[in-house]
Amino acid sequence: MDGGMKNGRAGADSTLVARKLRKNYGDFEAVKGVDFEVRRGECFGFLGPNGAGKSTTMKMIYGVAIPSGGELSVVGLDVTKDIRGVKRRIGVVPQENNLDEELMVRQNLLVYGRYFDLSKKSITQRADSLLDFVQLSERAEAKVGELSGGMKRRLLIARALINDPELVVLDEPTTGLDPQARHLVWEKLRQLKNEGTTLILTTHYMDEAAQLCDRLVIMDGGRIITEGKPRDLVKENTSPEVLEFRPRPDSLEALRELLAGEAEHVERSADLLLAYTHDSDELMRTVRRSEIPLENTLYRPAGLEDVFLRLTGRSLIE
Amino acid sequence: MHIPSPRGAFRVWQRDLTIFRKFWKPALFPNFIEPFFYLAALGLGLGAFIGDINGQDYILFIAPGLLASNAMFAASFEATFNTFVKLKIDRVYDAIVSTPVNAEDIVAGEYLWAGTRSVLYGTSFLIVLTALGLISSWWALLLPPFIFLMGLMFSVMGMLFTSLIQSIDFYAYYFTLIVTPMFLFSGIFFPIEDFPAPVPQLAWFTPLYHAVNVCRELATGPSPAVLIDVLWVVMFTFGLALVPVQIMRKRLIS
Repeated sequence: MDGGMKNGRAGADSTLVARKLRKNYGDFEAVKGVDFEVRRGECFGFLGPNGAGKSTTMKMIYGVAIPSGGELSVVGLDVTKDIRGVKRRIGVVPQENNLDEELMVRQNLLVYGRYFDLSKKSITQRADSLLDFVQLSERAEAKVGELSGGMKRRLLIARALINDPELVVLDEPTTGLDPQARHLVWEKLRQLKNEGTTLILTTHYMDEAAQLCDRLVIMDGGRIITEGKPRDLVKENTSPEVLEFRPRPDSLEALRELLAGEAEHVERSADLLLAYTHDSDELMRTVRRSEIPLENTLYRPAGLEDVFLRLTGRSLIE
Repeated sequence: MHIPSPRGAFRVWQRDLTIFRKFWKPALFPNFIEPFFYLAALGLGLGAFIGDINGQDYILFIAPGLLASNAMFAASFEATFNTFVKLKIDRVYDAIVSTPVNAEDIVAGEYLWAGTRSVLYGTSFLIVLTALGLISSWWALLLPPFIFLMGLMFSVMGMLFTSLIQSIDFYAYYFTLIVTPMFLFSGIFFPIEDFPAPVPQLAWFTPLYHAVNVCRELATGPSPAVLIDVLWVVMFTFGLALVPVQIMRKRLIS
C-alpha cells in the first residue's frame, strides 16, 4: 500500500481518516477541527443544518477546498499531496447540478470518462450499463435540459460511477426532489452499498440519514457534536416517545411548566412544545386532567431530529 | 505556482472539440464570413480611392492583416464569453475539477482550444485569400502555425480579463477599450508608422501590431526583421500565460 497517514491510527479497513481537520475562509472558520473515520463498505452520513460545515468537509475530500489544518487521508492518500490520485479513485455527486448542458445524456458520461483517462471501449461499455442502472437508457440521446430534477440527479450519480470508484461522495443527494424521486435515489444508493461501494453523504433530512447511514456524525457550527449509529444516537440522547403539543399562545407557559415536571425533558421549537417520555399515554392523561387548552397534539417515536434538538437546542430545518 | 498537466489540458481541449463538432457549421460561418465584408467594403470600395500603399494594391495591403484580426476575434470570444459561461453559468469547470483534471489544466486546455479554433477559421480564410490571388509567397505555408500562436496569445489576454471579472457585462469594456482600438490602430488598414508620436510607439506595445506585421511579411515574403515581431509574440504569450492560470485556480479551488 502506498502513502497513508504519518501518524495514522487508521485501521486497514478505513477508506477515509480525518484528524483535527480545519478549514477557514479568511476570518470565518467553516470547519473547526473534526475527527472522523469512514470504514470500507459502509455508508457514512453527515447530518446538520445549513452552514454546519458539511459541504466544506465534502469539498476537502474531493479537492475543491484545501484544508487549512489537520490531516485528511482519502483512499490511503493525503489530499494535500496527491489530490489527482484521490480524485482518480473516488466519485463525486455535487450539491448543485453541473451536468454539461451542451452534451446529450449519454455524451455526458462519455466526456466525463475521458477526464479519467479511461479507454474509449471501457467508457462506452460502462456508460451503457450505468444508464441502465439509473434507469435512463431510454433518455440516452435526450438533452440534459429536458430531464426532470430526479433524472438529473440520477445522471449525476451515474456520472460519479464512471471510473468505478471505491468511494462515492454525495453532497445532499436528494435535496429539492419530490418524494418519489427521493425513494428512487435511495434505492440506487442502497444497491451501490450492497455491491460494496463506500458512501459518504451529507443531508439535512433525518429520514434520509436514518434510512441510509450505517453510522453518522451530527455537525453544527463547524464541529462534530456526536457520532454513532442512528438507532444508538436516538437511544442514548433522548427518550423513545415524543408528544408534540401545540398550545394556544396564552397557555404556552403554563403547559411548559406542567410538562417540565411530568416529562423526562421538554424542548420548544417555535410554537411547539415537545415532551419526551417513556410513557406517552400516562403523560397525555396528565395533560388532559390539567385542562390547559390545546390546539392539537401529535404522538410519534423519537428520531434523529430530536437528538439534534436536544444537543443544540435548535431544530434542524428552520 | 501551479503548472498545468498536458494530459489534463488535452482532455479539456477534447471536450471543447466534441461540442464544436456538433455546432461547427453554424458557429464557423459568421466568424469566417466577417473578414470578407471588410475585404469588400474597404479593400475594393475604399481601395478604389486610395490606390497603392507601400507599392501594394490596397486590397493586397489589408488582406493579411485581416487574417490576424480574425484570429484575434476568434480567440477573444472563446476566452471571454464562452469561458465565462462555462465558469459561472453552466458550471462546467466545477464538474471537471472533481475529476483527475485540475483547475490549472482547464485554463491550459482552453488556450489550446482557442488556438485550434483560430486555426480552423484562419486557415479557411487563408485558402480563400490564396484562391483570390491575394497571397503571393510560399512563406504563407507558415501562416497556419502562426495563427495558432496568435490564438494562444489572444486567448491568454482574454482569459486574464475573464479571471478578474465577476459579471459578464464587463466584456463591453474589454471589447470597446482593448479589442476594437487594436483592430483599428495596429496597421491593418493603414501603416501606423506614419502617425505622429506616440501612436506608433504605443502600437509597438500591443500584440495585434506584431501579429499583423508577421502575417503581412509571411504573405508577401519576409525580411529578417520579422523575427523580432515573432519573438515579441512568443515572449508576450508565454510570459503571461501562467498568470490567468493561477487566478482562475483560485476561483475554482478555495
